[in-house]
Amino acid sequence: MDSLTLGQHTFTSRLILGTGKFSDAETMLKAIQASGAQLVTVALRRFNRERPSDDLLGPLLTIKGLTLMPNTSGACNAQEAVKAARIARELSGSKFIKVEIHPNPHHLMPDAIETLEATRILAAEGFVVMPYMPADPVLAKRLEDVGCASVMPLGSGIGTGHGLATADLLKIIIRDSRVPVIVDAGLRSPADAALAMEIGCDAVLVNSAIAIAGDPVAMAAAFALAVQAGHSARLAGIMSQSEEAVPTSPLTSFLSNAGST
Amino acid sequence: MSALTPDWLNPDPWLTRAQNTGTRAVRQALATECPGIAELAALLSPAAGEALDRLATRAQFLTRRQFGRTITLYVPLYLSDFCKNGCVYCGFAADRRQPRRRLEHDDIIAEMDTLKVMGFEEILLLTGERTPQADFDYIRAAVALAAERFDLVTVEVFPMTREEYHGLTEAGCTGMTMYQETYDPAVYERMHRWGPKRDYQYRLETPARALAAGLRTAGLGALLGLADPVRDALALFQHVQTLRKQYWRSGISVSFPRIRPQLGGFTPPFLVSDRFLVQVICAFRICMPDLPLTLSTREPAWFRDGIAGVGINKMSIASRTTVGGYHDGSTTDDGLPACPSSARELGQGQFKVSDNRSIENFCAMLKSKDLEPVFKNWDAVYRDIAQSA
Repeated sequence: MDSLTLGQHTFTSRLILGTGKFSDAETMLKAIQASGAQLVTVALRRFNRERPSDDLLGPLLTIKGLTLMPNTSGACNAQEAVKAARIARELSGSKFIKVEIHPNPHHLMPDAIETLEATRILAAEGFVVMPYMPADPVLAKRLEDVGCASVMPLGSGIGTGHGLATADLLKIIIRDSRVPVIVDAGLRSPADAALAMEIGCDAVLVNSAIAIAGDPVAMAAAFALAVQAGHSARLAGIMSQSEEAVPTSPLTSFLSNAGST
Repeated sequence: MSALTPDWLNPDPWLTRAQNTGTRAVRQALATECPGIAELAALLSPAAGEALDRLATRAQFLTRRQFGRTITLYVPLYLSDFCKNGCVYCGFAADRRQPRRRLEHDDIIAEMDTLKVMGFEEILLLTGERTPQADFDYIRAAVALAAERFDLVTVEVFPMTREEYHGLTEAGCTGMTMYQETYDPAVYERMHRWGPKRDYQYRLETPARALAAGLRTAGLGALLGLADPVRDALALFQHVQTLRKQYWRSGISVSFPRIRPQLGGFTPPFLVSDRFLVQVICAFRICMPDLPLTLSTREPAWFRDGIAGVGINKMSIASRTTVGGYHDGSTTDDGLPACPSSARELGQGQFKVSDNRSIENFCAMLKSKDLEPVFKNWDAVYRDIAQSA
């Protein structure tokens, strides 16, 4: 069966959901179910054991068959991310960790240097490490070298909805990668997700585009269809692009005429 | 402005644009991909005021895109109302004849524990000017108590030295708030009659000192109504931009305090209308889409309800502007601490609280607007490392 493998784990869904930005936990849970996602990410900073109504972890634990991937959003450097990952593993029981290190709290761009260091440490500790990273083909290989389970390059800035602004770089990463490539951040519409899958991504991670949609649950279902469509199209073989029309009669057909050498 | 205004802050070059922009320039400002000070000036203009709903629509879109359907909540705790400044607009000013008080060690713990029961994970500690009753050691001790209980601990106290801010960071402080009150030096001088706060420049440089010392966040603002609010908004924007470039790892936020009635009957020189306050908030959101924008309980419930999620993404609730006051035994029907009456606030607080709703009522309002109240949006694990580093 066609599946996504991350570490020792396999998933039939190639749509991963983020859990922030929803208007309430009930909508978040319905969106997850509508999306068919088997893997979701949740920020350690949104774990709140002291106020259940403010807690994102508790509701997620109620969904059977769902794998949690805590993330280290809020960490400014590798040291903070590593400590957050260890605590998140204790609280969630999951070995998955999305390394997310963005020292600037405004634009939330990932710190390549600190991400590499945190990935190295956590992979050595047995985590299934999924680093959120700039769309940098060299960094992707460096992360692979230190043991990440996948790379998660950004399509564009978190929450911007600018889609696959980094498409040319993503194509290089996809071409060269030995681990799954999961586009994380920037997707605006199901069309973006389908395109990401068509160019060869193994999965996509979506949060804002679903959470702030007019109908988050319906949008989650739409993304699921788009991811499946894009992946199926990739497998089916997409016709190549050309600037020129291809004539029915080849222009070089004269070469096969008598007299050519 | 007088020669005291640093060039990097001076809003004068943009004032004409803010006063005379036409509708075409407003449309351009709304459509610009990377708006800056020129666009802010255009969006503060009367012409932009005519298009207020377009500004609000754009602001809501940008707020939702950056922060989702959430409003982060925090609570202030006034530790002390001793002061030695002569701010003409402040209920704590040194010449006000009123009983003064500070919270002692056990009081602080009782107040904080009460706030924890209420569900808060972010606390803002406040005092007046540095006094023997509320000095650096007192603040640091309070920060340490707060850090044992809350994920985020910020202070809105007197300006400190860089070394002192470093000491607060080590005690678990994550951020500070320091309003310049007004960026107009001449008005600033008139409004601050005596005391250390008369030093405009030292106060202006305070957020930079705090960030350089290791605090993660700085909250800025101007007390709208003290001076020309357009000039203050433009200068505030320049202040934020300058800090963001210098301290790129730091979080900057902006608040929009509008001067309200308080002890002493001060009448603000400039009227900041409800419509114009909305315009300022939306203009900031449009020109700084990724900046946290805060609104306190100075503003009435109907205004906060309307602006929540439309520019504003962070709010206080259940606030008391008197010293302590959360752990005084008065409770609501659900057993949680009751909010004080407005009469009590007006009689004793730093300013009048205009939104006296309980947390539950406020959260119900947010939910009715499809907004999730978020009490915890950070984790102390990150702060603990900063302390031990």
